[in-house]
Amino acid sequence: MNIQDNYQKNKKNIFFSENKDIQTYREKLINIFENDRFDKKNNESLKNINLKNFFDFKYKYLISEETSVINNNQENSYSIVSVNGQCLSYKDDKIEITKILDEDYIDFSKNDIIENNDHFVNLNSLFLNSGFKILIKKNNNIKIKISNIITDDDLTIFQKNNYICEEGSSLNLIEEYENKNNSTSNILNVIKLEKNSQLNHFLIQDNSSNHNLIITTHSSVKKDSTYTQKVYNFSEGYVRNFHYSELKEANSEADLQGIFFLKDNNTSNNKTYVKHLAEDCKSNQVYKGILNDRSKATYFSNTHVDQVAQKTEGYQLSKGILLSDNASYFSKPELKIYADDVKCSHGSTIGPIDENAIFYLRSRGMSKIAATKILISSFINEELSSIDNEQMSEIIQKKLVRYLSKVK
Amino acid sequence: MFLEIKDLSVKIENKNILKSLNLNINKGEVHAIMGPNGSGKSTLANVLAGKEDYEILNGSINFKDNDLFDLNIEERAQEGMFLAFQYPVEIPGVNITPFLHSAINSKRKRMNEEEIDNLSFAKLLKSKASDLGINIDMLKRSVNTGFSGGEKKRYEILQMSILNPDLAILDETDSGLDIDALKIVTDGVNKLKTKDNSFLIITHYQKLLDYIKPDYVHVMVNGSIVKSGGSEIAAEIEKDGFQKFQ
Repeated sequence: MNIQDNYQKNKKNIFFSENKDIQTYREKLINIFENDRFDKKNNESLKNINLKNFFDFKYKYLISEETSVINNNQENSYSIVSVNGQCLSYKDDKIEITKILDEDYIDFSKNDIIENNDHFVNLNSLFLNSGFKILIKKNNNIKIKISNIITDDDLTIFQKNNYICEEGSSLNLIEEYENKNNSTSNILNVIKLEKNSQLNHFLIQDNSSNHNLIITTHSSVKKDSTYTQKVYNFSEGYVRNFHYSELKEANSEADLQGIFFLKDNNTSNNKTYVKHLAEDCKSNQVYKGILNDRSKATYFSNTHVDQVAQKTEGYQLSKGILLSDNASYFSKPELKIYADDVKCSHGSTIGPIDENAIFYLRSRGMSKIAATKILISSFINEELSSIDNEQMSEIIQKKLVRYLSKVK
Repeated sequence: MFLEIKDLSVKIENKNILKSLNLNINKGEVHAIMGPNGSGKSTLANVLAGKEDYEILNGSINFKDNDLFDLNIEERAQEGMFLAFQYPVEIPGVNITPFLHSAINSKRKRMNEEEIDNLSFAKLLKSKASDLGINIDMLKRSVNTGFSGGEKKRYEILQMSILNPDLAILDETDSGLDIDALKIVTDGVNKLKTKDNSFLIITHYQKLLDYIKPDYVHVMVNGSIVKSGGSEIAAEIEKDGFQKFQ
C-alpha cells in the first residue's frame, strides 16, 4: 500500500483531518514521500534504518480509549500515566494540560529547522493520532513525571506534544519509556521556553527489542532561559533521538546529553541541530555510547552560529567504547560559524576499551571482567554523578548494573 | 627458589627483546637491574606482570612454586606479584579508594583470608598514605588522574604498601622524582622490606640504590644479563657508564 492510499484509508483515525489548511499541508508531505528516492546514504534520518519496518504500513492507527492518570500527589509535583500517547485534560492555578490543537499543529508546520526529508517527522505530521499540551504558568516551579505506556501490539503512536514554560517558570520533567509490546512510538516534542524559564528534561528509555522509539524534539529558547535534555537509552529495540534547538534570544542555553548502552543487533541514531540566533548564547552537547555485539550508533551534530550570534559558546563532544569488533559508532560533529567572536569546539573519540588501563587494573588483582566493568562505569561517571535527582540516579544505576551483567 | 627465570627469550612485533635471560631471586633479597635505554628492562617487568603483548619464544619462569605462564595477570597479582609502573595509567572516573579496596580483597579471597571491611580499609589506607606524605584529599580523586609525575610514583608505592606483595618490581620508580620525593618513596620501600619479601628494582641510575641497598646488582644489555655482583657494580656504572658492558 502506498502512503496516499494509507492516508486516505485511515483518515478518520488521524487528528485534524477535517482542517483544510492541515489537509493541504499533508498533501505536500505525501508529495515529498512520493518524490523521494529514500537515499539512505545522504539522508541522515534513514541511516541504519530497516525501511520495511517503518514504511510497510501494516500497523494499526486506531487508539483504544484507555484512560490516562494524573496525580498531583505533592505540592508542585505531578505524575502522569500517558496511555497510547494520550493524556487527560487537567487544570489548576499552576499548570494546564489539554489535547493538542489544530493551531499548535499549524504553528509547528511553519518551522524550517527540520529538513523536509526527515521522513519520521513527516510521518508523524501525516498520521498524527495522539498528543497533548502542557503549559507551566508564569513563575511556577513544577515537577512532572510521565510514564508513557503503549497497550496494544502492532500499534503505532504518532504523537505530538507541546510543552510551554511561561516567563519565570521552571519544569523538571522525567519521562519513562518502558514498553514491551510489538509497537512503534513516533513522538514529536515541541518545547517553548519563554523569558527566564528552565526545563530540565530527563528521558529514560528501556524498551524491549520489539518496540521502536522515535523521538524528535524541537526546542525554542528565549532570553535568559535554559533547556537541558538528558537521555539515558537502555532499550533493546531501535531508538532514535533527534534534537533541533533554536536559541532565539540573548543569554539562552541548550545542554544536550545522550548516553546509550547498546548490545545485540540494536541501533541508536542520534542527531542534533542547534541554531545560535542571538548573542551570548551557549550550547553544550555530550553524547556517549557503549556498544557491544553487533550494535550500531550514529551521532550527527550540527551547530550553526548566525552572524549576529556574537559571544557564542558551542561545544560538541562524542565518545564511544566499542566492546566488540562488530560494533560500530559513526560520529559526525559539524560547526558552521558565521560570527567572529565565538568559542566553539568539537571532538569525537571512539575505540575499544583502553588495554593499558585494563592491564593496570588487572595487575592489581582485578579480574578482566571486573576491570572492563569498572572502566565502562568510569566512562560515564561524570554524567551519572551530575544527576542531581536521587530517584533518577538510583533508576539509572540499576539499569547500568543490568547492562553490565550481560557484558562478558 | 622464590623467582627463577630460566633461559627466557621474548619478542614483540618481530623484534627479539629478551635473549636467553637467567635470573634467580630468593626470599628476602633485593635485586637491582641496571642497563641502558632499550636493553629490555621494562619488557622483563611487563612479562613478569603478565602483559599480553609479548610472545614468549623460549624459557620458563617459576614464582613461588607456580609456573608463571599458567597464571593470568590478576592471578599473578593475587599470588603476591606487584609491578610499580614506569608510566602509571590515568583512569578518570575510577576512584582510588574503592579500587584499592577491591584489589586488596581480591588478593585476600585467593589466599582464603577474610575480606577487609570498609572501615578497617579506610583506616589502613589513611595510615599508609600519611606514612608516604600523601594528602588524604588525593584519595578522593580518580586513579592517577591529574597527578604530577611525583604523585603518580608515590601513589604506586602507596598501592604497594597496601597490597603488601611478596615480590615487588619497581620499574624506574626514580624517574621524574625530585630528591625529596625520591626520599619519601624509597623510605616507603624500605619500611616494607622484610625477610619474607623480595624486590626487583629497575633503574638507570645509582642514585636510587643509595637509598635502597640492593643485595645484588645485574647489568642488562641487549636483552641479557651480562654481569652480576654486589653494589660495587652500580658504582662502576656511575663512574664509567654502560659502554664497557656492551
